[in-house]
Amino acid sequence: MSNPELHVKIDKLICQGTGYCVRLEPEIFVIGDDDLGEVLIDKPDTKYADVLEEAAVLCPTRAITY
Amino acid sequence: MEPPPHIVGIQHFVDYKSVDEILKSKDFRQGSHQESQPFFGGSLLTIDHGEHFDRRRLEAPLFRKEALEYYEREELLPLIAKSLEECERNRGEDGIVRADLCLLVRNMLARISAVTTGIDGVDTPERTDAFRTYVEQLGTGATVEWSTEDHGEVIDRILEIRAGFVEEFYGPSVERRRELISAFQAGDISENDLPRDLLTLMYLHWNDDWDDELPLREATLYTVASSQTTTHAVPHMMMHLHEWFEAHPEDFEKRFDREFLKRAGHEAIRLHLPSPALLRIALKDVVLSDGTEIAEGERVACLFTPANRDTSVFGEDAKSFDPYREADGVKPWGFAFGGGEHTCIGRTLVTGLSARTDGDEGTDGTLVNIALALFEAGIELDPAEMPAFTELSYHDAYGTFPVILRNL
Repeated sequence: MSNPELHVKIDKLICQGTGYCVRLEPEIFVIGDDDLGEVLIDKPDTKYADVLEEAAVLCPTRAITY
Repeated sequence: MEPPPHIVGIQHFVDYKSVDEILKSKDFRQGSHQESQPFFGGSLLTIDHGEHFDRRRLEAPLFRKEALEYYEREELLPLIAKSLEECERNRGEDGIVRADLCLLVRNMLARISAVTTGIDGVDTPERTDAFRTYVEQLGTGATVEWSTEDHGEVIDRILEIRAGFVEEFYGPSVERRRELISAFQAGDISENDLPRDLLTLMYLHWNDDWDDELPLREATLYTVASSQTTTHAVPHMMMHLHEWFEAHPEDFEKRFDREFLKRAGHEAIRLHLPSPALLRIALKDVVLSDGTEIAEGERVACLFTPANRDTSVFGEDAKSFDPYREADGVKPWGFAFGGGEHTCIGRTLVTGLSARTDGDEGTDGTLVNIALALFEAGIELDPAEMPAFTELSYHDAYGTFPVILRNL
């Protein structure tokens, strides 16, 4: 079920395509054709809140917000 | 000036686009710190890909929003206030407090880096001096590749100095953390009672693949790197702002404006990078988008200073300081924190955490908070002695920066 409280975004201007987010949660993130991160589910279930927090902090360029 | 021998003859990249492409690419690995392995070997700085991801994941909790807010509120602000208070001991017979900004900021950052790393007892001015001296010596060992002295002699000398650091600071700090972790694991204390620092995290989540000295080398990286950017940038930031306010007196009141100071800090670190170059080694034959070929195993140098002054990215006046600069599509500090997976893990300690979508204000970081405290202390250049660059570095680093703190 989607959650209006979680709204995942990747700032493409900041993202450097390290793929750390994909390693952490491939159900939410993917590397796109432009070699940068993309969001597969932009309003995911709240069960993803913890992993989104980890992805946001772990991203070397801190391109992820949610 | 001749480049250091270890980068002579290798391909150099000086434009923003090429440097960005190399740093982003997974076809390269870290190529710096080949000789400084005794100090940085196996640390986050020197490992790549899967190993880098795992280590970064372990250390990421130190840079969570809550942790950054804790450091800023509970550690950074009191440490800045204490360091300025200690300056009052230098009040002259004329009643004016004078200080060397370089030394003042180095002492502030030594204390902050001790807290984030997990080194105890960096509290009095004397102990801070001792710790800072150790860190600066370790920094010499960690950048031995750039040394003009005999590299073997430098390594031997600094290893001897490191033994003193271990005995005086590192060893007792580790011992205390291991005791606390034992107490936590026995159920005698809660996790909240454990210190929030690197060494606690490493011993709490010990990996049997690590050698016993890895936490020492990781701690060396943290203590050296965490103070470098801010100590290098603050004197430049103050000089640029001094000149900016002379040319734009209408902006003088903005010396207390955090957003203005944040922009000024970004410009200072864009123009004056703590690490002027970074080396990468190609893992396979690579052709960059402009057609440049790099062979498998080839080391290349990314030169950050010219890349951060690339007029095609930062505008025709890219070499100038402009706190109102708008550079579309790039970070305002350029490569000051590197790029790709090796982007500095501590960047948010320096720049602060930008406001997030959850509506929090985030943190302002060391640059803004130190600059603001200095302006509140009434910082002025000391007309009796002008700032001077150090002769001990290839970088544009200030060696002395005499100031008056008019409001103390």
